[in-house]
Amino acid sequence: MKLALAVILPLLASLVNLDGPGHYVNIGVISISVANLLVIILMAIVFILAVALPFPHKKEHGA
Amino acid sequence: MTVMEDRDREAIVAGLPEDRDMWTNKLRRKFYGKLPPEKLLPDRQPSYVSSWIYVFGVLTLSALAVVLLSGALLALKGPDWWHNSPEGHFVNSLHLWSVELFFFFMVIHLWGKFFMAAWRGKRAWTWVTGMVAFLVSVGTAFTGYVSQQNFDSQWISTQGKDGLNAAGVGALFNVLNFGQMLMWHILLLPLVAGVIIVIHVLMVRLRGVVHPFAPKGAKTHPADDAPWTGKYRRYDILKEGTTALVIVFVLTLLFSIVFSSPDDKQVTLQQWAQNDPVDFVTTATGELSGSTTSASYGYPYNNVPGSGQKLGPISLPSIFGVTIPVNPAQDFVLRPLSTIAFDPSLTSALSTYNGAGSAQQTKWLDNYTKALNNAKAVNGGVVVSSGNYGPLPVMMGALLKMADNGGLEASLVANHGFYGTDYTKPLLFLADGSYLANIAQKDHLLGTQWGMMNETGSYPGQAWLWLYTFWYQVQPFASSGNADVMVWALMILLSLVMIAVPVIPGLRTIPEKVKVYRFIWKDYYREEEKAKV
Repeated sequence: MKLALAVILPLLASLVNLDGPGHYVNIGVISISVANLLVIILMAIVFILAVALPFPHKKEHGA
Repeated sequence: MTVMEDRDREAIVAGLPEDRDMWTNKLRRKFYGKLPPEKLLPDRQPSYVSSWIYVFGVLTLSALAVVLLSGALLALKGPDWWHNSPEGHFVNSLHLWSVELFFFFMVIHLWGKFFMAAWRGKRAWTWVTGMVAFLVSVGTAFTGYVSQQNFDSQWISTQGKDGLNAAGVGALFNVLNFGQMLMWHILLLPLVAGVIIVIHVLMVRLRGVVHPFAPKGAKTHPADDAPWTGKYRRYDILKEGTTALVIVFVLTLLFSIVFSSPDDKQVTLQQWAQNDPVDFVTTATGELSGSTTSASYGYPYNNVPGSGQKLGPISLPSIFGVTIPVNPAQDFVLRPLSTIAFDPSLTSALSTYNGAGSAQQTKWLDNYTKALNNAKAVNGGVVVSSGNYGPLPVMMGALLKMADNGGLEASLVANHGFYGTDYTKPLLFLADGSYLANIAQKDHLLGTQWGMMNETGSYPGQAWLWLYTFWYQVQPFASSGNADVMVWALMILLSLVMIAVPVIPGLRTIPEKVKVYRFIWKDYYREEEKAKV
């Protein structure tokens, strides 16, 4: 089990290698890593989708 | 059968008439009256609770459950496990990604509640506890980042200490002390966060979710603090919670498998001595001459007149004084050298140095410091042009050798009582040189590079620290000698404003004016329009 983990996990973890040098967006005084920027953009997109997408309706009852 | 067993639930809660004055009886009646089981575990929600934005509260709690579970495993097994075994590193990845998801969901939850003006109808305390939970979570995450025991944690702690020390809290909250930080991270702060989150959830159950703003021309819309009189829908709170937990766990698992987590090894004094001996010896010489940052730092490490940051006329660090005594010349150089045995030339050099007057010592140090500007590293040692340096070359050669074989690190960490992993001294010494900062610069971690919110490699870091990091980039903070204490004061003020939004005129009416709520409660408003027609 331990051996399997030792072999499989690093292999899976290397599917997308984030250990390489980071990339940064620099605009004026702002300097943000692409990873952080993606997280913030994704957060904004998810928020917009959460308020815009229709919510599945269930049976309603009176008060 | 006891007296109680044949009574109905209400009577059991009420207790016997003669017990009404008992504290326990009073508390039970009050709790049951405010939070009966149907409120704690509801199966109905007002029908306007029909938007995806409502799921982010439970997603946040689910992410917190994964954070706690993975964190408990890491705490039980220890740093060696999470650094050096594949399964430990994988659990470390689970912890990192669940934390990222926790903040991701919590921020969206917070935005949603802001645009609903969710503090209306006597729900201000729900907002306040939510905001405080967010701020405590930021602090808890920070202690986690400095507890990693890798390069990232070393760098963050050496940088973060300045803000904490300037605000006066460094005396009780030493980010360079791994043991103390781990205690804050796994026990004290989670306890505070846990209590606040439980109160927050109970407040939500007690007051219910805030009503939509009244539609235009509505005559029968219930007041914000009145019970909802409209339609209800089925709501299985446990099913929703379980589904959210499964979703969050699968996401965490997926991110951990695909992305793993960063773990650049710690920088040691040994590594510094071997890779940049000139910088090492220059820094050690600076410690002796009192020209390094640590030597002139002030509170909480030493008492240096005129040092330390001030907020106007107030010096917050001076309230507690010297609580973590550090004498760089003695602690980083002279005392470790005095522990080296069986080296007659070093014993003689130390005796010469300690026996010389301060004017003589200063002359040797000045000469040696100037010579180090053109020094060369040869065969692991440092070579300078010949000059009048007194015993310094012998002393520095011995200190370099001591660091090279790992002895200096052990010497600086030793004798700390309960916390045997207090890295205050080695980290202060390391941060006085330029070796650590050079590595940090390559990883885009310097303060001028918005480093506090960055991670090593291409991983997302503490993006939630963006505002704190931002202030350091703009005037007057960027060029102020009191930047840390000013930024801290500003952030505390802004945090208080965020907490107090429900009572701040202008700010509390923004949601009603920007009308994002029209999208959140679109189904409800559509139904109301239909009903009018």
